[in-house]
Amino acid sequence: MAAADVRDMLDLPAEVGQPRPHKKQKVVEKRPEGITRELYALLGERAPPIAINENKYKGRPKWMNKLRVRPWRMTPFTNNARSDGLVLNHWQRKHESTRPPVPEGTQMDVDEKKEDEETKQEDKEEASKPLEQEYTFAKYNIKARVPKKYSEEEYNRSLQSKDWDREETDYLMDLAHEYDLRWVIIADRYDYQPKVNSEADANALVPAKHYRTMEQMKARYYFVAATILAIEHPPSEMSEAEFELHERMLKFDPDRERDRKELAALQINRTADEVREEAMLLEELKRITSNEQNFITERRELYSRLEVPISVGNTTAYQSSSGLSQLLQTLLQADKSKKRRSILGPEGGAIASPAGQTPTQANNGISRGETPTTASAASKKGVIPAREAQPIRTLTPAEEARYGVHHHERVTAGVQFRSDRAQKLTQAKSNVQTLKLAGALAELEIPVRLFMPTERVCKEFERLIQAVNLLLDARKVAEKVDSEIRVLEAAKAEREKKSAPGNGHPEVKTEAEDGNGMLDSTADAENDQKDGNAETPKRDGNHKRSASVLSAVSDKSSKRQRR
Amino acid sequence: MNPSNPPQTAEYGGDEVSAIVLDPGYSTTRAGFAGEDAPKSLIPTYYGKYNADGQEKFVYGDDIFVTPRPGLSIHNPIGRDGIVEDWDMAEKVWEHSFTSRLTGAKPGNPFQNGLNDIPSEELPTEMEVESEEKPLADSPLLMTEPGWNPAKAREKTIEIAMEKWGTPAFYLARSGVLAAFASGKASALVVDIGASNISITPVHDGMILKRGVQHSPLGGDYISSQIRALFKKNSPQPITITPHYLISSKNAVEAGQEPQVKFKTFAADKAPDASYRALLEERTLSEFKECVVQVWPGPNKLSATGPNGISNEDAARSSPGRPFEFPDGYNQVFGADRFRVVESLFDAKAAIPDPDSPFPTLPELIKASLAGVDVDIRPHLLANVVVTGASSLLYGFTDRLSQELMAQFPGPRVRISAPGNTAERRFGSWIGGSILASLGTFHQMWISKKEYEEHGANIVEKRCK
Repeated sequence: MAAADVRDMLDLPAEVGQPRPHKKQKVVEKRPEGITRELYALLGERAPPIAINENKYKGRPKWMNKLRVRPWRMTPFTNNARSDGLVLNHWQRKHESTRPPVPEGTQMDVDEKKEDEETKQEDKEEASKPLEQEYTFAKYNIKARVPKKYSEEEYNRSLQSKDWDREETDYLMDLAHEYDLRWVIIADRYDYQPKVNSEADANALVPAKHYRTMEQMKARYYFVAATILAIEHPPSEMSEAEFELHERMLKFDPDRERDRKELAALQINRTADEVREEAMLLEELKRITSNEQNFITERRELYSRLEVPISVGNTTAYQSSSGLSQLLQTLLQADKSKKRRSILGPEGGAIASPAGQTPTQANNGISRGETPTTASAASKKGVIPAREAQPIRTLTPAEEARYGVHHHERVTAGVQFRSDRAQKLTQAKSNVQTLKLAGALAELEIPVRLFMPTERVCKEFERLIQAVNLLLDARKVAEKVDSEIRVLEAAKAEREKKSAPGNGHPEVKTEAEDGNGMLDSTADAENDQKDGNAETPKRDGNHKRSASVLSAVSDKSSKRQRR
Repeated sequence: MNPSNPPQTAEYGGDEVSAIVLDPGYSTTRAGFAGEDAPKSLIPTYYGKYNADGQEKFVYGDDIFVTPRPGLSIHNPIGRDGIVEDWDMAEKVWEHSFTSRLTGAKPGNPFQNGLNDIPSEELPTEMEVESEEKPLADSPLLMTEPGWNPAKAREKTIEIAMEKWGTPAFYLARSGVLAAFASGKASALVVDIGASNISITPVHDGMILKRGVQHSPLGGDYISSQIRALFKKNSPQPITITPHYLISSKNAVEAGQEPQVKFKTFAADKAPDASYRALLEERTLSEFKECVVQVWPGPNKLSATGPNGISNEDAARSSPGRPFEFPDGYNQVFGADRFRVVESLFDAKAAIPDPDSPFPTLPELIKASLAGVDVDIRPHLLANVVVTGASSLLYGFTDRLSQELMAQFPGPRVRISAPGNTAERRFGSWIGGSILASLGTFHQMWISKKEYEEHGANIVEKRCK
């Protein structure tokens, strides 16, 4: 509906100069070419926006019209790789340099005839030209390097072989040349027909044909080639590459090659089961090596962890609850800044856990309720965090032994080795004592350093060392008493010499008995032998009595020694 | 990239000399210009012979299918083993293949068409006279041959090309090598499933390994004979194939019902030979092969039991059948039978016991072929199995072949390369020839007329190794 119609309806004065006819004209002007006037009129005034596509050949862009057509010409050519000079024709672009630039516009028509003549002339020129030109693809005509032909004399001198005669060697060399040393093909096409000497094979209908394997051919060829190479250049004059080649050719071993091929054939003809088994084994091997790798890295990690120097800093600052909480705060801070896995664990940490704590633990101490227990703090105090959630499970002694659970009386900070502790026992205060201990152990054929410092072994070792110590002490005392006895006896003898018998004797006797009893309690056979000769008669009777005395005496004696 | 600029020759090594590639097969003969991607001329190798007005007349090309002339008999110049038997007719059929579409029946004088303006002093004058008659005077010719072509046949071929057709240059290439080239490989194990033969050709560095070449007549025609045997035993009724030319009208019938058909009858002296009927029946059969026949996809043979305890036969039976309507209107849905007709390519026991003695199956052929080549290249060949030939287009063929090969050689990697494009599969060796003859480096291999005259036909043995 046009504006004019609206105005008409509303009795509004029509605008002067409304360009209706003008509009129509415009439309008519716009009428696209592909549509007839009548059809276009049917569309009415306001035609819907239809894009009318004309399927027209686009042709070349305008700028291309300025370009000259570059003519191609069927030109004959010869191939240098051929010996017979075969002339073939192919399309080739004409050489442009010889042509004058094409005149434009009107001149074109005038020149057309002239150009035709020109091209004909050029054709003639060009026809002769490419013949001189090198054919582009001739350079790909290459042959493998084969040794030069040997002469009759050379053959007789150095190439004789009882397996190969001259003709067959020639045949092989020709084939090698013809097929460019492609041995697969040479072996495939090898079909040597020996010349039938009428007398020898006259009675045989089919001459005996013997097949050559590829290895035999290769061996022969390499032998010939190496020999010829050596004749051309004696090995002393060969260049390095030549010498290497020569060596390699001489070292060819047909038997080994044949064995290798047999193995290869076996490899190809495996059954499905064998292939599966091999795949399985390979998988297994892969698993094992990767496990080993893992083990090695884990062990290295463990070592590096163990080698961390033990902190010697003052820990008094962290003894109080406030100190601990401060430590935790700093740790958390560090943790956050590192953006790594939280030390508080995945459940949100111990801060959230007090709600779930059992009342018994709440009673344990307010300090723990307030200061959240980090993993390290908990283990220090012997409390495992998991205990909070799970009921406590007590282990029977048998189970403890099975799982290897130990309860340490006193745990010191840092890592300790059980073997170190055992080691420490063998170190006595004095050097002499240490040596003696070592001697005693050597006598028992126990190494100073334990092979297998398990807990039980260590305990036994400890007991053994204690016993040895005791024994050594006892021996010392015994020696002392012995010497005392000897002194007193000497004195007594002197006294007896001088006068009638005195009353010092019983006193001495008791001391000797005491020493004897003590020896008995250590249950050492050695000392029995040493000291037994003097005291045996009275030993049994004194045994019980002397047991109590023993410790006191030994204590005293050891104290004396230390002093 | 500006399409108006041709690619540099160095980019693809091409240099086209307008050579013609001729790939004669048992069923069809393919010819076209080198450098194109499909043969322009595709004609059946069969030709028709009939007598008219006391004269013997021949029909070539697709015309043989069209008119049932009285006494028309169909022949094939090539024997069932792929070797030419009737050289005179082979020459005529081949000539028809390129004169009908490529060079024109009567080539104009190439010296007057403006394309070959060669200065006259370059050429011997008698050639100008010759070129009037000889159809191939200005095109080098590349022909293909099967890998087991005897030397006699090769020499005869070059004789025809040089003397009868007057080609300036000639080359004879093995179709197996060309099929390998068509899939871009210089070394491959080519499995060619043709009409009369299946052949295995090991190719190494662009040359066949003669001791590994195997062939057996289990081609498309063998499958046809299997299908015929199946039709004979078919239930509810044996099927006879009636070609279209014998049918004047027919009505649609339900599946498995007797056809309602009116036959055309020929008087005894007007009727074409039985071989004409056989040829047209063969056409129906190849349609049947295209639409219905399917290769059991494996794993294992059709007669074996599948992994889940169901025998493969039952599995095949449970798969939906395919309907086929014969020219006389008879139609039927074919179920497991459609797998059975090709099973004998893979499993000798599965052959429908109608025709002929047992032939080595395809896996056996491949095994024998590999046994004939050096052990070092066997894995490489197995990794480059090229499948070509129109009969390899049977549905599911390559899948089954790869299954069989993997079962037979579980160790090495087996990889089958079979172009998905139908034309590339049908014309594999032609395409390879097209590639070869348009290579710049190949032009030194041609046997030129001069060389032929110098050395005689024997040169083909030396050059085309």
